[in-house]
Amino acid sequence: MKVLIVSLYHPELVRGGAQQVAYELFEGLRQREDVEPYLLASADHNSPALFKSGARITGFDGRPNEFLFLTQEYDYAWEKGANVLLVEAFKGFLELIRPDVVHFHHFLTFGIDLLTLTRRVLPEVKIVFTAHEFLAICPANGHMVRRTDASLCTRASAVRCHQCMPERPPEHYFMRDMWMRRHLEAVDVFTTPSHFMISHYTNWGLDESKFVHVTNGMRARGVTLPAASKTGARKRFGFFGQMVDAKGLHVLLEAVALLRVGGFTDFTVEINGDNIHFATPKRRAEIEAFLAAEAELPLAERNVLFNGSYHPDQLRARMARVDWVVVPSVWWEIFCLVISEAWSFGRPVIASNAGGPAERVRDGVDGMLFELGDARALADAMYRACTEDGLWDSLAAGITPPARQEEMVEGFVGVYETS
Amino acid sequence: MSNLLAVQQAEAFAPQGQKAPVFDEEVYLRLNPDVMLAVASGVFSSGREHYERYGRTEGRPVVAPPRGRVVLTGMPEVAAKQGHDLAGALDAIRVSSTGGIYVVGWVNDAQDRLDSVELRFAGWAVTFDAAAMARVRRPDAEAAIGNGTPHAYGFWGFLYAAQRLTAGACNVVLRLKSGAELTLSAHAEMAEDQDLRNIALGQLAQAPYLGNAYFAATAAVDGELGDQLLDFNRMLTRRAVNAPYVERFGLRRENYKASIIVCLYGKPEYLFLQQAMFSRHPAMRDYEFIYVSNSPEMAETLLREARRCALIYGLSVTLVLLSGNAGFGAANNVAAQHAASPRLIIMNPDVFPYDQDWAVKHEAVLEGMLEAQTRLFGVPLYYDDGSLMHAGMYFEADAMPSLTPGRRPETSILRVEHYGKGAPPETARFLRPRPVPAVTGAFISVARDWFEQLDGFTEDYIFGHYEDADLCLKSLEAGCAAWLHDVRLWHLEGKGSIRKPVHEGGSAVNRWLFTKTWGELVCAELLGPVPEHPALRAAAEEALA
Repeated sequence: MKVLIVSLYHPELVRGGAQQVAYELFEGLRQREDVEPYLLASADHNSPALFKSGARITGFDGRPNEFLFLTQEYDYAWEKGANVLLVEAFKGFLELIRPDVVHFHHFLTFGIDLLTLTRRVLPEVKIVFTAHEFLAICPANGHMVRRTDASLCTRASAVRCHQCMPERPPEHYFMRDMWMRRHLEAVDVFTTPSHFMISHYTNWGLDESKFVHVTNGMRARGVTLPAASKTGARKRFGFFGQMVDAKGLHVLLEAVALLRVGGFTDFTVEINGDNIHFATPKRRAEIEAFLAAEAELPLAERNVLFNGSYHPDQLRARMARVDWVVVPSVWWEIFCLVISEAWSFGRPVIASNAGGPAERVRDGVDGMLFELGDARALADAMYRACTEDGLWDSLAAGITPPARQEEMVEGFVGVYETS
Repeated sequence: MSNLLAVQQAEAFAPQGQKAPVFDEEVYLRLNPDVMLAVASGVFSSGREHYERYGRTEGRPVVAPPRGRVVLTGMPEVAAKQGHDLAGALDAIRVSSTGGIYVVGWVNDAQDRLDSVELRFAGWAVTFDAAAMARVRRPDAEAAIGNGTPHAYGFWGFLYAAQRLTAGACNVVLRLKSGAELTLSAHAEMAEDQDLRNIALGQLAQAPYLGNAYFAATAAVDGELGDQLLDFNRMLTRRAVNAPYVERFGLRRENYKASIIVCLYGKPEYLFLQQAMFSRHPAMRDYEFIYVSNSPEMAETLLREARRCALIYGLSVTLVLLSGNAGFGAANNVAAQHAASPRLIIMNPDVFPYDQDWAVKHEAVLEGMLEAQTRLFGVPLYYDDGSLMHAGMYFEADAMPSLTPGRRPETSILRVEHYGKGAPPETARFLRPRPVPAVTGAFISVARDWFEQLDGFTEDYIFGHYEDADLCLKSLEAGCAAWLHDVRLWHLEGKGSIRKPVHEGGSAVNRWLFTKTWGELVCAELLGPVPEHPALRAAAEEALA
């Protein structure tokens, strides 16, 4: 069985969750004798040196079956490419490889209309589409968070989308909705890494029978780390991830401020992440001002430490410095790889009670959930984490090891093979 | 300046005891700078020529007044009054190389009405009759004059000379009914033809008027000004449709069940959006699309998108690219010439299938109904919010009494209304097949031979609006009423093209033209949602039977 994995970026060129999953799937498929996998990952202006004159699709760094789709002139309003030569190249590539399965892990940078093209070029091919967020439904970055009041959105509509993005009239969003559905018609099977996503898509009108839940897996880690704190107190919290608004770092910092105001300062928070330049100016200013003020304090008075970004190889060391991992996301948070990473190192998670985290974290069993966006509720949970004897041990013991790469690959192969 | 004052002025400036002043060319030009300009630009061979032809009777000064003395040139209060009455200015004159002339300014004619505006260029001159000019408010002039009574001090005019003209220095004479004149010097600039059309139509749409703006704009074009704008627009239309670029995409067939003609303007994305949506149903393989573009600047994008669409959707697409904006009517007429089917469907770019099998239903209508009921028909169209947008059109007349002296006592202009606009989607009385006074140009299915027999769309309308109703009334007049059949589509009204103030100006002209053309027929037999026209009534009875 020939399987073509279509990936938004190559994870070694541009890091991100969707491409990481796509690549790990590709690697996993390569281990199997019954599958001949191909990877077509997009590259754009982030990797200018990889563009070759006159080429639209090239190989990648001498690796067998790995190809780059050299995308350009992308139209974000309609999620389509503008360059006809790229369409011709994609068509030619399909005709050359003639896969049995084309597995799209995104349409971004390729164009959602390439789904329809794939069906037209290969009428019998099985088209699988893995949704990594809600971009087909929600033009506001696919987050389904209302820009009007930051509440979670449960229903897109022409007027509601216009309220979030008033620069275009309701008719545009009506049209975008039809445009997206039109191309998703070509898909045979949708997969999502979380169950709750399925209800979002079926509420939007897609056929529930076409959806399959396939969890994201991760490569096997080493061993569960011991809690390093010698006192037995579990009062060190860690934030891992991008410092963008949706990840809710501001909620965590506000919780820190609330704990201090309440006179409780016997705890630390370590921030591991970057990409603050993608945060909104308001949030960025808040976070940077907080961190700057923190850095001015005498060492003994500091509660928050900013460690900056980290390579996956550094994760173990960063995890070793914390007892708890906080996931204060203020959007649906599709799967939350950080939860898997925390669990793989035996760290219980304190997370917002929505989306993927709410589905995965069992409140009081392997972690704690707090009201999304509520800094007071997070402060309460952190206080409890620091002061309640035996809580950490109980929750750490409740952790189930996260799904491994092999489980994910099995799940997808099952999807490919099902008629 | 009045003749009386001019004579007094000339005599006052003459040296004492000398009845016939000695003419000094240099002094005359210095004292009359507008004449100096006119001589320099060749309108007159010399100051002397001007003086002999005009200057003497105008009372132009020929000698400088004595220094250090005030010389009365008339009764001071008369002179002050005359001077006040003659306040005015020329803001701009624009001339296009093909002979379009646009002039805008203001004059204080609250008491003594403007009679004409005369422009004298080197080698040519033109006079605008005040009756053929639009009058608009000028807040700046009102403030300066301080006359508490509102008055339209502003004026603008447009003429199409249909001959090559040049701009440059210009003497302007604002002449009032009493004969009083104000002479001004101005410099006219050249403008592109299309820009000139836009300037005039933009002025028509945006100028502040006394009273209701829409009526005032319609009243302004009623007569010579409207005719001149239409003439000029016809010339631009002819030019735009001349030798279009035509390219075909996708599989070609000998013939199709119907040719869908879509006129694009300003928004190229509707090409790929329509192709994506219409290609969902296999019946569309029997249809061809002909996109005609009124936006030359979109040519490259449209060519690229058509090629893309051929790869992804595979429908038959013909692109007809015009060199300018020919307007809706002419563009569709040109596109129709490239159709390869006996049935034309005129469709807006923002129309999409509401019934996915609309094409099957369309064919069923053609096969199942009487020929007279399908020769020209429209369909129910829906807003994106789900409510009905269109289920046929009817006519109303708006009347506005004019209190301006010298104007007609009442202005009446026709208005087009849609049956069922905003109604719940399943309102049966709007959806039932029936004859209607007209249908929207957003979707018209018409037998090609009938379309040609009617000479297609009337091309006189500027940009767009009213050609659809005009076509339906031509059909009605030729013996076949438009019908409405229940084949449903979306219509994102107004979103498929760009719209600027200049288009509102075009609409004002079109509404006037439509009223002029069809007002008598409509007011006699077609007014209101239940018209009395015998052809409609007979067709309705036939449908009921």
